[in-house]
Amino acid sequence: MKVSLNWVKQFIDFELPPIEELVQLVGARLGVVEQVINYGQSYQKVVIVRVETVQKHPNADRLNICFVNDGGVIDGVDRDANGLVQIVCGAANLREGMLAAWLPPGSIVPSTYYADQFSMETRELRGVVSNGMLASPKELAFSEDHEGILEVDIMAEPGSRLTDIYQLDDYVIDIENKMFTHRPDCFGQLGVAREIAGIMGRPFKSPDWYLDNTNVNNSAVNALPFELKNEIPGLVPRIVVAALGGTVIKPSPVIVQSYLQRVGIRPINNVVDVTNYIMMLTGQPLHAYDYDKVKALDGNDYATLTVRHPQNDETLSLLNGKTITPRSSSIIIASQTVAIGLGGVMGGADTEVGPDTKNILLECATFDMYSIRRTSMAHGLFSEAVSRFNKGQSPSQNGYIMQEAISMLQMQAGAVVDGKIQDFNQSTKSQPNDGVAITVDLINSRLGSQLDTAKIKHTLTNVEFAVDNQTENLLINPPFWRTDIHIAEDIIEEVGRLYGYDNLPVILPHREMRPVAANPMLAFKSTVRQIMAAQGANEVLTYSFVHGKLLDAVGQSRQNAFEISNALSPDLQYYRLTILPGLLEKVQPNLRAGYDRFVLFELGRTHMVNHSLDEQGLPEELHMFAAVLAQADKLAGPGAAYFELKHQLDSLAFQLGFKLTYTATEKLPDYNVTAPFDHDRSALVNVSGTDIFLGIIGEFKAGVRSKLKLPVHSAGFEIDTDALLKASQEGKTYRQVSKYPYVEQDICLRVPLKTNYQSVYDVVNEALVEQNNDQSTTTLAPLDIYQKDDYKQITLRYSIASLERTMTTAEVAVLLDSAASVAAAKLSAVRV
Amino acid sequence: MNYINTEIDHVAVVLRKRLKSLEPKSNIMKAVELKALADQLKSIPPHERPDFGRQLNELRNELMAQVNSQAQENSTLPPIDVTAPIDINVTKHPELLPSSNGSAHPLTVEIDRIVDIYARMGFSAVESRQLDDDFHMFTSLNFPEDHPARDEYDTFMTKQTDSKGSPLIAPAHTSVMQTRILKANKHLLETGQSIAYVVPGRIFRNEDLDARHEHTFHQLEGIYVAQNVTIGNLIAVLTTFFESYYGKTMEIKTNPFYFPFTEPSLEFSIACPFCDKAGCKICGEGWLEMLGCGMINPNVLQIAGIDPEKYNGFAWGGGIDRLVMIKDNIEDVRHFHSAKLDFLRQF
Repeated sequence: MKVSLNWVKQFIDFELPPIEELVQLVGARLGVVEQVINYGQSYQKVVIVRVETVQKHPNADRLNICFVNDGGVIDGVDRDANGLVQIVCGAANLREGMLAAWLPPGSIVPSTYYADQFSMETRELRGVVSNGMLASPKELAFSEDHEGILEVDIMAEPGSRLTDIYQLDDYVIDIENKMFTHRPDCFGQLGVAREIAGIMGRPFKSPDWYLDNTNVNNSAVNALPFELKNEIPGLVPRIVVAALGGTVIKPSPVIVQSYLQRVGIRPINNVVDVTNYIMMLTGQPLHAYDYDKVKALDGNDYATLTVRHPQNDETLSLLNGKTITPRSSSIIIASQTVAIGLGGVMGGADTEVGPDTKNILLECATFDMYSIRRTSMAHGLFSEAVSRFNKGQSPSQNGYIMQEAISMLQMQAGAVVDGKIQDFNQSTKSQPNDGVAITVDLINSRLGSQLDTAKIKHTLTNVEFAVDNQTENLLINPPFWRTDIHIAEDIIEEVGRLYGYDNLPVILPHREMRPVAANPMLAFKSTVRQIMAAQGANEVLTYSFVHGKLLDAVGQSRQNAFEISNALSPDLQYYRLTILPGLLEKVQPNLRAGYDRFVLFELGRTHMVNHSLDEQGLPEELHMFAAVLAQADKLAGPGAAYFELKHQLDSLAFQLGFKLTYTATEKLPDYNVTAPFDHDRSALVNVSGTDIFLGIIGEFKAGVRSKLKLPVHSAGFEIDTDALLKASQEGKTYRQVSKYPYVEQDICLRVPLKTNYQSVYDVVNEALVEQNNDQSTTTLAPLDIYQKDDYKQITLRYSIASLERTMTTAEVAVLLDSAASVAAAKLSAVRV
Repeated sequence: MNYINTEIDHVAVVLRKRLKSLEPKSNIMKAVELKALADQLKSIPPHERPDFGRQLNELRNELMAQVNSQAQENSTLPPIDVTAPIDINVTKHPELLPSSNGSAHPLTVEIDRIVDIYARMGFSAVESRQLDDDFHMFTSLNFPEDHPARDEYDTFMTKQTDSKGSPLIAPAHTSVMQTRILKANKHLLETGQSIAYVVPGRIFRNEDLDARHEHTFHQLEGIYVAQNVTIGNLIAVLTTFFESYYGKTMEIKTNPFYFPFTEPSLEFSIACPFCDKAGCKICGEGWLEMLGCGMINPNVLQIAGIDPEKYNGFAWGGGIDRLVMIKDNIEDVRHFHSAKLDFLRQF
């Protein structure tokens, strides 16, 4: 929201502080100032001159030579005997006696001030010296008009500064719009002026016309009859329409154009400019229709404005040149037969006010803010009107604003009201009728302040709230434009903000010395990431959304995934079903970057359509933990990648205090999580000695490897973080430390190929445990697995230390012999 | 699959048969029959060409797909004994990677650190959801239907809907947890305790990516409800946090703001801790805008079943990614989700 401080000054009766101070104050008490523009700085050297003589340029048809009177204020230019300055000018509207804006040598063309500055100089044009030039409105950045030079339309002495004549020594501050989401009044200069007074502790008085309740004088003439019909009063609670005749379309006075331009509005013509000027002043958009064009559409002897929904397939040509089929529940302004405007969003092209317009229909309406927003979003139409109507302008102001607009139109376009002004009004007051009751105590307790009744009263009455106080019980009536004030908190906010949050005491809340509730999952994830990092793995974060092609590549079904309906990029088409595919995508780029061997892991959340709902009826969120190990195939590894990643997972489990069991399956269960895995080289993972199922670890299907360009030496796991946390809470098993030395002996068993390692280990281990009376501490660990064509040999190392005495090698040999014979019986194992 | 053009269909039959015994499979693409069909294309009548060409292409694609799938089957590895701790016939046992290669993600590390500071101040932590509904994203936070304030959040929505038929939403702020936390802890208020929670979480905005904009980032929400809570309490808590976080005393400022779920609403900025407000590359003009905050709107308390006449409180939310970027001088926000080891191994 751009605010011209000169415009603001028209409504206040005190001096504004220096700009830096004002900006700080506005920032702290109204909203962030995004930009401060020193509007006048580009005009400092522009001088008003009177054109005294004009004569043809001898060497150019289109150029003239003129002598101008600058009152002698500019030094260092050549003058004739009368002290006049010679300028060459090609403008058609150049004439003797006119006042013009002179850019003397050494000045910068204002329209080029902020980019590619163009500096004036004394130079010859076709053999005639020109001292700078006379400027067009475009060169002055007043409008797009480059037809001729600016005609200064205010009486001024030659030599006056342009800035003085047109109040250009101005600052424009741009306040962030977001702050005003609930403040329709602050979308006008008037509203911001009131706020500036309020935050400076000064009383503000709105201009009389904004508060005056008298009706506009209807004229007795009725040459421009019209009919107003409102079929949807629920969406358009108030609409005021006047017909004005005798309009002469021309450019607005320069000062009006200049003010519009300062706050970001392009001047168009005097009628449209008045509607925009009033909008920028009050926040209330207006619309002017060409009366005769509206009337001609129906062929009646009167014009009709109908407020209604569009009819089937009705189309509408808009001012921006586009033709739309308005959404069925949008608000349409129509003649009796034809749609002529998208109410509150954009006017129509058919009834636009143009150079030949004689008579106008002026509309000041209130449109439902939500409907305006929906229509604007549905058609991608954003206008100054939309950003005001969708904040909820007060319908109470329509009459006053209409009155002010009419008087401006009269002054600037010669327009005169014809006939009766029609006011369809079914609006209900948007503030509480009986005011907001609040106590001084409540205000102080919420603000932590000690403001007295008088201070609070002042703070609020400064911005035109009515405060009724008999005691400390206040009854507060907000002014009609404050459609945002409903409850006590609204009043507390006003007092705190206007008084200054920075003036309030800052004190920490007190609490009991009670430990705060723990979040085991957060702490656990932190532990897991630290362990994994210590194991050389790298934690990554990948997006929660994936491309459908990634799901396809790993064999997951798109049907199971939540699909994003409005993603800007196809990379974000689906919610990920599991974490691992996202990690697999990151393998190849890292290999290419020169990393030969790495483990990436992520602790994240996943969602699937085919999963249950939680107690709130929302899709259950799963905490998952996934990792991928990859090694460039050029490096020879110690066996399959599977065993390396398994070692990572086993080490993690060990750190967390438990052991894992890996189970091969004939066929992997058909889950999202198992999809990428090769069942011949994958295992389901359980926590040993419990019924806790964790997930899956393994290598990938050949197709997955080729589609994701994974090296052959790659493996991954995906496990349930909740289950992992549960397992970690079981507690470690401690072995007593022996005072006596360990005896170490190996046992090597030859078994058939189909016998797996775990069964051999379990048989040997159980046999050894059975023979031990628990008075020892032992380990049984793998040494190697040697496989030939038709058998394999598994070597295990047993170490044992008694808690009571030193054991002999002979004793230990007996234990192993006996284990070997159990293995022989159970597994047909041969000791070698 | 049959081809309408009899010649092409005939070639298809021949080549399929040949593919079974051919090695390497990819040589099938060089078959003379394919070349002959391609040559023929030039001589057939122009109006038949498009159809012929399309069928020829389909045949090529069919063969290529078979070659590829054969190649994949060939690269299928033999089964392994997954119960074993080591592979067969190897002398070296698997080893972990060097610890010095390992790293935790800078964002998760920072979240831990921030949560820890707040924990010491008396705030519990709960993580935010990553798929939610309209009620928690907007309605429970006092955003009316079609309110323009909803425009500030470019939410991702799913095709799937909630029980009310509205699309599910990828949360665009961690505030989705406010009502849940208030509901779950309101019993604390009755025993004279306060509700004090922080909510770290991953959030989503439907934005185009560039060095400064991400569609996925992290936020930390805070919520505090008790009796007679003041704006000064809010400012004190936030200032205290930043003083602990940066290890120095802090000058702060606030700007009024608008959020539907707090009233009043403020933006909270700190004087740049790196240049002491002198203005530098990080802050620009001396201030760093850190978060949005405010006193919880009574409607939000009411929706959660808390009597706003008796209790009130404050809430805030701020980005974490930016804190880390500022701290470590990270030039591109996209690095965080890039999984680039060049980036990760620096932490």
